[in-house]
Amino acid sequence: MNASRLDVLGLFDHEYDDDGWRTCSVTGLEIHSSTENYAKLFGLTAVVALLVGGLFAITVPLTRWELVGLLEPADFYIHLSMHAWNLLIFWMVFMEISILYVGGPLVLGRKLPITTVAKAGWGTMVAGAVLVNYAIWTTTPPDQAPLLTAYAPLPSAPLFYVGAVVFLLGATIAALPFFLSMWQEKRENPGKTLPLVAFGAFVTSIIAVQAILGGLAVFTYALLWRVEIISSIDASVYRHVYWIVGHGTQQINLVAMITVWYFLTHVVGGAEVVSEKVSRTAFILYLFFINLGAAHHLLSEPVVELGWRLFNTSYAFYGAAFASMIHAFAIPAGLEAGRRKRGKGGGLFGWLTSAPWHNPVFSSVVLSVILFGFIGGITGVVMGQLQLNMTWQNTFATVGHFHGTVVLGTTFAFMGLILFLLQTSFDRKLALPRLASLWPYLFASTMGITALMMMYVGLLYGVPRRVAEVVENIPGTEFNLVAAAPLFNVFGVFAMLAVVSGALFLVIALATLLFGKRNGDGEAAERLLPDGTLKPEGGASDPVHAYEMRGTFVLTLVFMGVFVVTWALNWYLLSQLWSIGL
Amino acid sequence: MTSPIDPPEGDWWSESVNRRETIWLGIAGVWSLFLFSWMSGWVRAGDQNPTGDTYEISPEQFREKVDQYKEAAEETDGGYVPADEHVYIAGQRFQWDGLPAVLETGTQYQFHFSSYDVQHATNIRPEHNLSAQMNFDILPGYEWIVPMTFDEPGEYHVICSEFCGDGHRSMHGTFTVVDDE
Repeated sequence: MNASRLDVLGLFDHEYDDDGWRTCSVTGLEIHSSTENYAKLFGLTAVVALLVGGLFAITVPLTRWELVGLLEPADFYIHLSMHAWNLLIFWMVFMEISILYVGGPLVLGRKLPITTVAKAGWGTMVAGAVLVNYAIWTTTPPDQAPLLTAYAPLPSAPLFYVGAVVFLLGATIAALPFFLSMWQEKRENPGKTLPLVAFGAFVTSIIAVQAILGGLAVFTYALLWRVEIISSIDASVYRHVYWIVGHGTQQINLVAMITVWYFLTHVVGGAEVVSEKVSRTAFILYLFFINLGAAHHLLSEPVVELGWRLFNTSYAFYGAAFASMIHAFAIPAGLEAGRRKRGKGGGLFGWLTSAPWHNPVFSSVVLSVILFGFIGGITGVVMGQLQLNMTWQNTFATVGHFHGTVVLGTTFAFMGLILFLLQTSFDRKLALPRLASLWPYLFASTMGITALMMMYVGLLYGVPRRVAEVVENIPGTEFNLVAAAPLFNVFGVFAMLAVVSGALFLVIALATLLFGKRNGDGEAAERLLPDGTLKPEGGASDPVHAYEMRGTFVLTLVFMGVFVVTWALNWYLLSQLWSIGL
Repeated sequence: MTSPIDPPEGDWWSESVNRRETIWLGIAGVWSLFLFSWMSGWVRAGDQNPTGDTYEISPEQFREKVDQYKEAAEETDGGYVPADEHVYIAGQRFQWDGLPAVLETGTQYQFHFSSYDVQHATNIRPEHNLSAQMNFDILPGYEWIVPMTFDEPGEYHVICSEFCGDGHRSMHGTFTVVDDE
């Protein structure tokens, strides 16, 4: 079955049979063209948002690096808003709809139901994204650029709020085929357990619903105020409701990313699930507790009560941080035990040294696991402690933290997923294969140092975020933060190198789509699968939990050591400050 | 084999968990509870907590209070010397009303924060140690009363650390902490 004649690039064709089915040579999944094509559509659209947002990753750091000082303040805030909305929202959410379709109907071997609704959802999301981009780009006084938060009562363009509401509605519509397909699966197979990846996708979707409800509420509230249907807006209520979506979307990123980790470490690394019970329990913990974490945006401010802050910021006694630490063990342990079972794991770390590090899908996913944990995860828990938050809140260090989570973690894993889909769903060989093998290491090192520099200037010199100029000059005073300038030079250079690395990814992806040769018979499987096969010998009689996990145990102990030291250092520095509070 | 893209076989809930994974679950669980206990304990025993009473107040009412405060204070070259332990700071695009001020070490002051217009945030730090800084969000419509005691004399800078408009970067104020005589 061939795709539309309009598809001149051959983006949507594959070797489907007359009913639209094919068997994936890599994963062995039975895949229907409807599911695969919509997953591709949303994924490709996400890459467009990545490109747009990525362009502003050039101008934003070149302004913060005051040696260059590229933009005037008004322009800087507009560029920063474009960077934030396109990367934190549009790139992520389009990818996540794609991941829902992959994790749900595609893994379950189902057709995508109600494809007209999927199409309508896509169109609505695109319309919303275009509106938001237009509204930000044409911001004129008295309106101000919204940044990510559009904190009322600082006014943003009315069209901005409209666009945000339209986009969130679109995402809801686009998720409906996923929900219907899960419902159909459970109706047809009562009592059958979902595969772990489908289970993770389902948890992601529930967390997404919570986030979207908050987003619809807050942007409607702000829109009504902005067009003067209601006369005033409460800054505290706005912040509360805003962070349901503001942080909720980041939790969607997290859970979708972990689902991708399980999926890809298995397919390209040979990982197995060492304990279905433990990994699923961790997802359930997310479901209950992770959205409470939005409270950590409301710690250093009035109104919210102490008990509320303590309970919520701790995700209810760190229920969700515990879940993340479970995955932090389960993912590498799956890789270790799975590879040992295949006979690929001599000694403590033989399972790692023998791994397919030249495969960019594998290396980007594994680097995403490591960097998310060490850079994004640890700092997130540290800065989310009630008292430590005072020293992180609104500083450039928080920006370092979420570049650790959203860029080095989620974006990196999603890029790995795209490189995988290019070779499977798009049925192409990667163009520029040597560059592609090298690319994850370039991106990890340059972006990793960039994120660390952000944290250093934020913590060591207290440089605030969201400001065009304060390091070399604060207009109207002799005081400045120029002591941070040398570190900003390192930041500037590495931020530009990270932009180049990010651009290389787009070059590889586009070159593959435009010029990549089609896979021959069995070529994709040979290239992607750990030993040329997904399913090694040995069945249920050879349980994976019985294999050694000592390498993983050592690695997680190192992780815990870094965690404790980072935590203790932050507390020591806080204890040196003047006394504050009741 | 247990694969994340296939439904698990048999009674997967009863499969045993690897001993090292069990140990890790214990370590992570204890650490989680410790993190919470420490945070909760610091509220009771620690010196740095973002706590204080909040009252609803209109920008106009708060402006009146700041005006009364400034009238009662002694005006010196260094800034307002408050008449008692209450200090008022209001965010206003793009300056801090109520600053500069002159305070003493060792006195517990009640800082009253609010805003006349949009959201702001105070990034406070002494000039001699840039990293010794703390941040508080300031919301219009709410008066937040935060107790603070300074031990180290010196010039303290207050930078706005929440985006409040195109002139945001110029929003800066100071207060001086002098040795208690």
